[in-house]
Amino acid sequence: MIWGAIVGGLAGTVVLTTILRAASELGVTRMDIPFLLGTAVTADRVHAKAIGYALHFVFGLIFALAYYAIFRVIGRSGFLLGAGFGLVHALFAGSALVNILLPVVHPRMGTTFDAAGSAPLLEPPGFLLVNYGRQTLLATLLAHVAYGAIVGGFVSLAG
Amino acid sequence: MNHGRIDGYAPIADYGAVGDGRTVALIARDGAIDWLCVPDLDSASVFGALLDSERGGRFVLEPEAGYETTRRYLPGTNVLETTFTTAAGVVRVTDAMTLPAAGLSPYRELVRRIDGLAGEVPMRWRVESRFGYASADTRIEHRAGVPVATAGRDALAVCSFGAGEATTSDGAIAGRFSTRTGGAELLVLSAAHQEPLVLPARREVEARLEATRGAWRRWSDGRKYAGPWPDAVLRSALALKLLVYAPSGAIAAAATTSLPEEIGADRNWDYRYSWPRDSAFTLEALLALGCAPEAYAFFSWLLHASQLTHPRLQVLYRLDGRPEAEERSLSLTGYRRSHPARVGNGAAGQTQLDVYGEVLGAAAKFADFSGGLDRDQGRRLAEIADHICGIWEQPDAGIWELRGEPRHFTQSKMMCAVALRRACELAERGLLPRKHVERWRDEEARIRAFVDTRCYSQRKGSYVRSAGEEELDSALLLAVLAEYDEPDSSHMLGTVDAVRRELARGPLVYRWADEPGAFLTCSFWLAEAFARQGRLEQAAALMDELVGLANDVGLYAEEFHAETGEFLGNFPQGLTHLALINAAVAYTRASER
Repeated sequence: MIWGAIVGGLAGTVVLTTILRAASELGVTRMDIPFLLGTAVTADRVHAKAIGYALHFVFGLIFALAYYAIFRVIGRSGFLLGAGFGLVHALFAGSALVNILLPVVHPRMGTTFDAAGSAPLLEPPGFLLVNYGRQTLLATLLAHVAYGAIVGGFVSLAG
Repeated sequence: MNHGRIDGYAPIADYGAVGDGRTVALIARDGAIDWLCVPDLDSASVFGALLDSERGGRFVLEPEAGYETTRRYLPGTNVLETTFTTAAGVVRVTDAMTLPAAGLSPYRELVRRIDGLAGEVPMRWRVESRFGYASADTRIEHRAGVPVATAGRDALAVCSFGAGEATTSDGAIAGRFSTRTGGAELLVLSAAHQEPLVLPARREVEARLEATRGAWRRWSDGRKYAGPWPDAVLRSALALKLLVYAPSGAIAAAATTSLPEEIGADRNWDYRYSWPRDSAFTLEALLALGCAPEAYAFFSWLLHASQLTHPRLQVLYRLDGRPEAEERSLSLTGYRRSHPARVGNGAAGQTQLDVYGEVLGAAAKFADFSGGLDRDQGRRLAEIADHICGIWEQPDAGIWELRGEPRHFTQSKMMCAVALRRACELAERGLLPRKHVERWRDEEARIRAFVDTRCYSQRKGSYVRSAGEEELDSALLLAVLAEYDEPDSSHMLGTVDAVRRELARGPLVYRWADEPGAFLTCSFWLAEAFARQGRLEQAAALMDELVGLANDVGLYAEEFHAETGEFLGNFPQGLTHLALINAAVAYTRASER
């Protein structure tokens, strides 16, 4: 069953990344998760993207294992339940994780209290990520629901 | 901001250009940035006042009171310096698009540094961001105290360092400040595309500006040219470098779309594509000036881009190598109401036979320089030569991309013959498969017979524009430049003399008899033809006059109107600068002989 979570986490992250990238190409959002994650580690753009993709997959696996733990506790799994988890995950990401927690730990991300000073700042995402485009939340919801459904589906299949 | 403007439009010659190898901004003599596409040269404009003075968007920066301006590029760079002299004092504005450096730099960055040189000068600035050729819904918000304009996947932050507090109104971000002697303020545009914005810090901006100056100077120091007109040659090289799209190596024909060939008329085309036709001129110029990396990159791009249409060569390709170039009209009014303003270029679908001669010529030059071609390149060039054998008898649109009925243009046929000659020469050196050499030789002979019997006027003692007519065309000068025949053969001498007699007015050469503006490239071609024919005095005299026609910072557009003295057509024009370099190099070589 845990292998289902691992495989589902990897597959789900691939789909999530693809959906957000497609949304970016379509002009829906400027959200770029690998860029956001990678610039927390390095200021070099090229390295930041590469590191960011690696980190994104690590976080994708960690979240899949968290989903798995909850599935074990409640004794149920499945793609619909996973999709529901994904929905909550997306709302959490938009309202707290990326909006509040990421600027706190990200050394280059601006907050509402910052002005451009001695170091460059990355534009903060804002509540529900609207700074990166009004429809960013929709794209994020869609991507995370797909991620959750895939993780839930794989866990269910493996179980 | 009315300095010499007509209905809000600055003369084309009033523009200077700054760029970063990905995009180019045009800055008018009055300090307004009227053209900027982000993130790339062929993206949609965010400042498009060049094509619609009222709605297009611009970045104004000028003294509040009346002023005079002088301009120059910092020596050996593409960093532009505009000095405003007012009754109250003197201010210098330094404009540059910074090159990426260590640290987290913006996706694209345009820096305007304002230095107070004398007195106290009140200044004002106003940024009207109009994304998507002024068609996108743009919103202005604040991020970490910085005003930001956003539209879809694009965003533009306006950072002021000492240049006054930004206010927003009427869809613009604006500010006022006074600069005093010794003062230095910065206005920085940080652009993002499909990613969060980077809001730069002043210290890092200044470091990038300094590094950018240094990078341009080092690039210029690496150029090898020891002939006459050195300043014009170096400025042309720097202008070309602005048009090199660094991510792919392609070279754009110009930085703009739809600057008209005739004011008020509809001959307004998008030149933000790369034309394989210019490839031989490009390689010749790049190699002559010691730009080996750029030459390698361009030749690789050329073969890569043409892969999708192989063995057919398309007239133009996008800078990223894709073949699509669908043409459409924008809702902008066009430069001085020269409507329509277009993006895309319908010429992509035309047949232009001369392209093959230029590409095979480029391959030969590349092989001479690099010591050879790889097997795959050789095979593909041989397939192109085979393709020419099957198509040269067709009529085509010709080098000038005329949109009327196709004709048997003389220069097109000549270049097909040149292509097959180069293919044979490369095969003899073992660089192309030899299987079809006999066929290439036979077809070359047939083409030459066609040109000599159908495209030569005994009455004029010259080749003519197309089979069976008596009109001339200055594209025939390319026969000398591409070495279709010995430059001092009677036919070549007669053709150059006829073009000068019928199509030149002073230093200006027209493509054909009734054209409104002279085509500056053709003037430089005439100078190069003179040089190749050993007529050095005529070449030097013509070059002296032509070098004097550049604008105050050494840039050229496509055409020059003899009566009004105006530049016409897209700007800065790569082909004109290429022709200048090649003419100067040809003159220098001929002088040394």
